[in-house]
Amino acid sequence: MRRFAVIAVACAAVYFLAIPFAFRGSPYILSVLTNAAIAAVISSGVWLTFAIGRINIAQGAFCMIGGYATAVLTTRYGVPFWICLPLSGLAAAAFGALIGWPLLRLKGVYFSMISLSLTEAVRLAFLNGGKLTNEASGIVGIPGPGAVSIAGIELIPAFDGSSPLPFYYLSALLLAGTLLALWRIMNCRIGWVFRSLRLNEELASSMGVNVAAYRVLAFSLSSFIGGVGGSFYAVYQQNIYPASYTVTDSMNYMLYCFLGGLDYVLGALVGAFTLVLSFELLHALQTYQTLIYAGIMILAMLLLPNGIISFPMFHGGRAASRGGGR
Amino acid sequence: MEDLLGAISLQTLVNGLVTGSIYALIALGLTLIFGIMRVVNFAHGQMYMLGAFAVYYLYAEAKFNYVLALVLAIVLVGIVGYLFEVLLFRRVMRVATREENTMLLAMGTAILLENGALLAFGEKQRGVPPLIDGVLRIGEAYLPYSRLLVTVLALLLVAVLILFVRYTRTGRAMRALAQDREAACLQGVNVDRLSALGFAIGAALAGAAGGLLVTVFAINSGAGTAVSVKAFTMIMLGGAGVIAGAILGGLTLGFAEAIGYEAFPGSITYLIIFIGLILFLIVRPQGILGKPER
Amino acid sequence: MSANLRSWFRPLLAMGAAALLVGAGSASAEDNVLKIGVLGVMSGPAASWGLVNKYCAETTAQWMNEKGGVQIGGKKYKIEIVAIDDKNDPKLAVSGAERLTQQDGIKYIIGPNVDTTATSIRPVVEKAGAMHFPYAFQRSLYTPPASNAVLGMIASYQAGPIIYKYLKEKKGVKSIAFVARNESDPLNQRTEGVQAAQALGLTISTSKDTYEPGTTDFFPVMTKVVKTKPDLIVLSGVAPADAPLLIKAGRELGFTGIFSTETAQDSKILAQVAGDKADGFISVGGASTPAIRSAYMEEFVQRYTKHVGEWNDEAGTKVYALEIILATLQRNPKAMGNIAEFKKTMPAFDMPNPFVKDPIKLKYTGTKYFQQPRQIGVPMVVNEFRGGTFQTLFVGAVEDK
Repeated sequence: MRRFAVIAVACAAVYFLAIPFAFRGSPYILSVLTNAAIAAVISSGVWLTFAIGRINIAQGAFCMIGGYATAVLTTRYGVPFWICLPLSGLAAAAFGALIGWPLLRLKGVYFSMISLSLTEAVRLAFLNGGKLTNEASGIVGIPGPGAVSIAGIELIPAFDGSSPLPFYYLSALLLAGTLLALWRIMNCRIGWVFRSLRLNEELASSMGVNVAAYRVLAFSLSSFIGGVGGSFYAVYQQNIYPASYTVTDSMNYMLYCFLGGLDYVLGALVGAFTLVLSFELLHALQTYQTLIYAGIMILAMLLLPNGIISFPMFHGGRAASRGGGR
Repeated sequence: MEDLLGAISLQTLVNGLVTGSIYALIALGLTLIFGIMRVVNFAHGQMYMLGAFAVYYLYAEAKFNYVLALVLAIVLVGIVGYLFEVLLFRRVMRVATREENTMLLAMGTAILLENGALLAFGEKQRGVPPLIDGVLRIGEAYLPYSRLLVTVLALLLVAVLILFVRYTRTGRAMRALAQDREAACLQGVNVDRLSALGFAIGAALAGAAGGLLVTVFAINSGAGTAVSVKAFTMIMLGGAGVIAGAILGGLTLGFAEAIGYEAFPGSITYLIIFIGLILFLIVRPQGILGKPER
Repeated sequence: MSANLRSWFRPLLAMGAAALLVGAGSASAEDNVLKIGVLGVMSGPAASWGLVNKYCAETTAQWMNEKGGVQIGGKKYKIEIVAIDDKNDPKLAVSGAERLTQQDGIKYIIGPNVDTTATSIRPVVEKAGAMHFPYAFQRSLYTPPASNAVLGMIASYQAGPIIYKYLKEKKGVKSIAFVARNESDPLNQRTEGVQAAQALGLTISTSKDTYEPGTTDFFPVMTKVVKTKPDLIVLSGVAPADAPLLIKAGRELGFTGIFSTETAQDSKILAQVAGDKADGFISVGGASTPAIRSAYMEEFVQRYTKHVGEWNDEAGTKVYALEIILATLQRNPKAMGNIAEFKKTMPAFDMPNPFVKDPIKLKYTGTKYFQQPRQIGVPMVVNEFRGGTFQTLFVGAVEDK
């Protein structure tokens, strides 16, 4: 435990101090890392749904809801971003709870396939949203987060876009916060209930667990995280369109978790950073980029079917056997 | 509501039947693969696309006879399916601890096929001259002969598959495998051989649909994803792993589309279809003819 | 969860190394290379839009590099095209624009192709002091306070009124229907088209019908449109892949009127998929009909075909971007690193149009629409499809004032 805390602090030092310093002349690289960090946040939500035994390919829908919530609140009602952020998460979570209650009764590939349709359905809903969502044209010109000051002392400076650092740090903090929250959840009673659901829902139910309620809780938390991620993107890119989150995006978020390793809280982080960075690196091979990406995915499934973290290197040589039964 | 009823004209019904028959063919292939291997073939739409391109190059460019081109295309895509199963899926299924890994692998194969096609075939839309020209009039409705032909051929292939699955030994073994894997193994069914064959046939059916439709519509290398999403919708509706379910799902979606486009503005149609699907699945998660989850 | 202390540093190191490699990707400034960016949709169903941009730029660049490069301000520069596929995803367009402007230090980007991606990169290019040449028609991109974008082709709302007027006067068209692809660009085009039609006094028989991108079966949507019996069906913002199928469906449903569109189309696809059903189809081209091509254009066509394997008529409109950018830079070499200079040069700039036989001038137009010259003055070539190829109906120009 102590060892892990030391590693965590070391990583944080590298990410928060060393990297921004090393790349201070290349704002583009910092923006790639920002993208990777937020992708990791969003994927961590998907990870949480997996923790109760569902493959969630609907995260794009919740990013969309969170993003539009922030967009509408900031552009039309002038609500400060810092309030929009949690509100967007709540909006997404509310929808997640509503739609999750009935849908989570499905399991396995059935749930996955219906979640895929959910992403499309939400996209179409926003495409036909009339004046509220501005339909196909989307909402542009979303202002960056404003300054936060208490008693005249500026705690957070305004994000005026002159430097990539504010968003970089914000994404890193969101990621750290999400991982911490996830770790705490999984290591307290709720987490053990989730694990029991993943292993055998009937058994858990027979032990008196309110299966339906816990499922919805997990899904809502996952949606909350998705909404927060969408909210971030809305102010980071300063726009949102129905085209912003498609089936492909939902699939990607799920992919990052899978590749990293579904058995570990850090799985989403590892997967997201690996794939986002490798996609950038492959840019030099322009036309073959996606082809190689696909090749990597297939090879990973053949050679590392339980994700990157399952690779013995990460366990000091010990093979992992994490109790995820068939 | 009145709008909805008014929308059901003869033309709409004809459109629905044509679309539905093709959809049934596509759904059939997907459900076969799912039934036998519990794998959702994410690359199904891309296999459809491959079949279409194969027919394009053989029939329109190399000037083969159409039927020959179609048969060759079907065989070609079938071989692709066979190779995927033997080289990729079989290995992953042995090593993985959860069945969703195969879903991820399938996604990888989908991206591979789509981008491989873009590199190999280029970005342009391709079409072939119609097999027969001319339009049949049924009352107020128009039915081009080319569409009629494609519908008939599709239904023919569906019938052939049903006969295969009901009356041949291999076909019955596949059904047994889909119904109860353990019991089938106990009966001495060769799982490996059947899985490979099942995947090949499933892929071939997708390729056949592509090869037929390229004569009516056209094809480009990016057409796969949209077809896959529709295919999933169909089998969720009709019941995954059940052949009759696939046909029912395909026809239902075909008619729903035709009526929907007629009654509602374009983009609302699919929104309504998805909402309808979600509501339906809440009530009956296994689809119309599917088996309830154990 | 136990973890070996040392074993955690390895992946971190790997990630750090990866990031460094990304950084190293940006080439150290070699003196005689001018990088021009292309950002557009290069995969999926709309792949031809962005790919044609890329191929045109690459063909022109290769041609010039063969001659030793482009002479700008006393030095010869080799042109390097850096292309990024945004897959029509605004998020990828933004990161692509960031990469081009920050990593590669590019000041001039050709693309993107649709409203959503073009508007999404506006903050990025403005911040980086770069200019982009989109093929999206949304006016807000080109009207003040925006000033970093230059429209690369004729906008639908410029061609539409002229085409409808021609058809009203020459072919007796009285009623008009619109079918639009369900995306921002085409929907805007339809709105503008409807306004133009109303201004001309045409009856609008239907204008609500749309289809989803990715549709292949157009019978359902065309059934509705054909039922209203218009004289003219306008295909708003349809992709070259969709047009032949829409036309075929319409004809099979008994429509005998005229089809038209205000986007560029490809004759080979029309011939293959629709055949003679597409005869009479009216579209907007750039310079590629044989009747008006110059020898320079002929050679470009040959080089493009050699580079890509096959000609695409869409290139008729997209061939202008790189040529005019380079010519403007030659006129004012200070603009190479400073777009304010480029903007200063634009209003008075003109050059002989190299791609058409007639000695017309190529300049930056659009002031009538955008209050500033933010459009490449591509000649408005209105084509009619007949017997497998495009025939030039007439050549107009965008009204300037």
